[in-house]
Amino acid sequence: MNRRRLFFHLLLKDIWVRRDRTLTALLSVIVVATMATVSLTVYYDLELRLSREFRSFGANVIVTKHDASLTSGDLSQINSVLGGKGEVVPVAYAIAATSANSRVVIAGANLSALRRLNSWWSIQDASASAHTALVGARAAELVSPSAGEFSLKYGAKTVSAHSDAVFHSGSDDDSRVYLDIADFTALTGVQPGTALLRIDGSPREIQRSIGQLRASLPSAEVEPVRQITQTQTAVLNRTRSVVLAASAVVVVLIMLCMVATFTSSVLERRRDFAVMKALGASNRTVNLLFASQSTLLALAGALIGFLAGAVVAYWIGRANFDAAILPRLILLVPVTLGSVVLALIAAMSPIRMLQRIEPARILRGE
Amino acid sequence: MFLRLVFESFRRQKRRKSIALLAIALGMSIATAMIAVGTDVGDKINQELRTYSANLLLTPVEDTLDVNLGGVSLRPATEGAFISEASLVRMKEGFWSHNILGYAPFLSAPETFSWHGNSLSTTLIGTYFSQSVHYGNESFNTGVRSVNSWWKVEGEWPPDYADWPSDASPSVLAGSKLAQLQHLAIGDELEVRGRKLRISGILTTSGVEDQAIVAPLHIVQQLIGRPDAIRSATVSALTKPEDAFARRDPATMSPAMRERWACTPYANAIALQIHENLPNVRVEQIRQVEQNQGKVLSRISGLMLLLTFAALVAAALAISAAMAATILERRQEVGLMKSLGAGNGAVASLFLTEAGLLAVIGGGIGFAAGALLARQIGRSIFGSAITVHPVVLVVVIFSALLVTFAGSAGAIRKAMRFDPAIVLRGNA
Repeated sequence: MNRRRLFFHLLLKDIWVRRDRTLTALLSVIVVATMATVSLTVYYDLELRLSREFRSFGANVIVTKHDASLTSGDLSQINSVLGGKGEVVPVAYAIAATSANSRVVIAGANLSALRRLNSWWSIQDASASAHTALVGARAAELVSPSAGEFSLKYGAKTVSAHSDAVFHSGSDDDSRVYLDIADFTALTGVQPGTALLRIDGSPREIQRSIGQLRASLPSAEVEPVRQITQTQTAVLNRTRSVVLAASAVVVVLIMLCMVATFTSSVLERRRDFAVMKALGASNRTVNLLFASQSTLLALAGALIGFLAGAVVAYWIGRANFDAAILPRLILLVPVTLGSVVLALIAAMSPIRMLQRIEPARILRGE
Repeated sequence: MFLRLVFESFRRQKRRKSIALLAIALGMSIATAMIAVGTDVGDKINQELRTYSANLLLTPVEDTLDVNLGGVSLRPATEGAFISEASLVRMKEGFWSHNILGYAPFLSAPETFSWHGNSLSTTLIGTYFSQSVHYGNESFNTGVRSVNSWWKVEGEWPPDYADWPSDASPSVLAGSKLAQLQHLAIGDELEVRGRKLRISGILTTSGVEDQAIVAPLHIVQQLIGRPDAIRSATVSALTKPEDAFARRDPATMSPAMRERWACTPYANAIALQIHENLPNVRVEQIRQVEQNQGKVLSRISGLMLLLTFAALVAAALAISAAMAATILERRQEVGLMKSLGAGNGAVASLFLTEAGLLAVIGGGIGFAAGALLARQIGRSIFGSAITVHPVVLVVVIFSALLVTFAGSAGAIRKAMRFDPAIVLRGNA
């Protein structure tokens, strides 16, 4: 048996004969690699996942043109900047009179798009058919206290609509009547001068789109809804910091735990170490043996841990965000490297300690 | 004899014991820190959210419609109903006093302003900036600076005058769009109804206020001759995200359920209390804020709970591995004890007693370290400490015992299965 074969024989035999010891060391590496993978995967995906939640807040940017209406060219500019990531609802406003001659703000918009945008409106729907109007709760008390058909006057023209879809929003919209844009233009002749935009994405992407919109629509005013964008930024930053801090604490502590287990299992092998030395093995060979064993364990542990971590992250995504968090292969590199380096540190420091002791003293049991 | 065995084992195997202890303490500090952070993060982010937006809107019950077009209110100051400013503080009466973090009243009217020979018509809005309010024997500051913290002012916030100042013109804010269109600057004086107002700052809100003049409430009340009147108020209240139970109508519930409903800080429950204190006020959820923030919050809390759960499992596995590793190496001891006549029961109870001692000490240390970590995380991220509930200590010690026993049991069984003679000869 040549030296090289002897070396591999020793390496594998040791791993096999002391299976339970190997398993406990392996388990501790797996746990570290799993937690590291879970935290890193979740952390990287967090911005995307949470930003999706902010979609439900509705319009986060408002484009207005003073004293003019948005042309179809303007709207196609907006749509090309958004690139399908969001929603655009052009809205026109005017003041009409009720049959009792009190004033009410009416607005024209694509009603189904408006409902999608303002998903938080609580709408009491009396009929399942397509609506001719969405009536704010406070406006409804005025225009049709008894529900049903009502008519609105604008100048000489009149329009009638059903108040079968009454909504609560808790904002100015509650005092408005939203008509379908076609009916609205037929009544007032006013074209939309405002567009409500929901731009999907992270705060940085939203900011970039605002910049692009300002550049391509110089005659219009493009303003973020600060209340929404600032909330999003604040919540995202805090959540990212919390997840990062908590993961850092967990990963570092569990790493220390692994190092302790690893170190102790190496220290327990002082007799093996002494026997090898007594039989004439050089320090270098012994170091190499222990180092390759630890590396092997760390590699196996990192691989299993990465797989387990990817499964856990996937499951967290499914359970909490209703969308899977997909594994990132790139994370395999830091996880593997980290595990190997840690295992080497954990294994080699006790070896250095043992090397200072005479083999004979260890074998005598001191 | 038994106690001596335990004691000597700790005395002679200091290194081995300290490694096991370290592992348990580390694992348990993970558990403590994660439980504390995971259960508290919802509340912390909720408080954070509350500083970005109010979630309840108060308006008079008998009110005419607000006719507001392009950010300009067209409803004259004489029309519609008002709420009494002095009565507002009564919303803090009752069970939810501490959940109501702040409020901001509003009074707006279309006015015509003139300066340097120019004139313009726009909305004059009166509100609290940071008004000190007395309620019972406590006093607190409230107003848009805390309730609407996204309002940004270039220049200076005006003070909340109690009365018209006699020595100088009162300070007001000009909306940023208005200032840009009309070339208004800080220091300009506007005249309205024969009285002068001085612009002390330019306000950006991205709402209707951008086209208005925003002044201290008492100044607007004096100007339009409506002392103690406000049109509406927004309230920032700490609420629990709405669930199916929250949406049920309290009128149809049994008394016990109604009590549970009323004692959970749902937006609806708090709105009901405010309405009971201020009967002529309609309380409406600002649904955009309330509904959606609840959703985001529950996602974040859910994520943290799942991460906590994963961390707990990981900590348990790590501790079990460490315990198994230390016991597996003690085969010789087991062999020696058995050859001296000890039964399996005696060996197991010795090892388990040791494990129990380690668990209690390690759990205690881990709890203290974890609590400290949680505090630090709270301090550095939220600016307020996360406190750990004492009941977590019990949970931590109990789970430390459970995990160390689980980790030891397998290893002990394994160690006992070997023939003592073979173990002692050193071939196992």
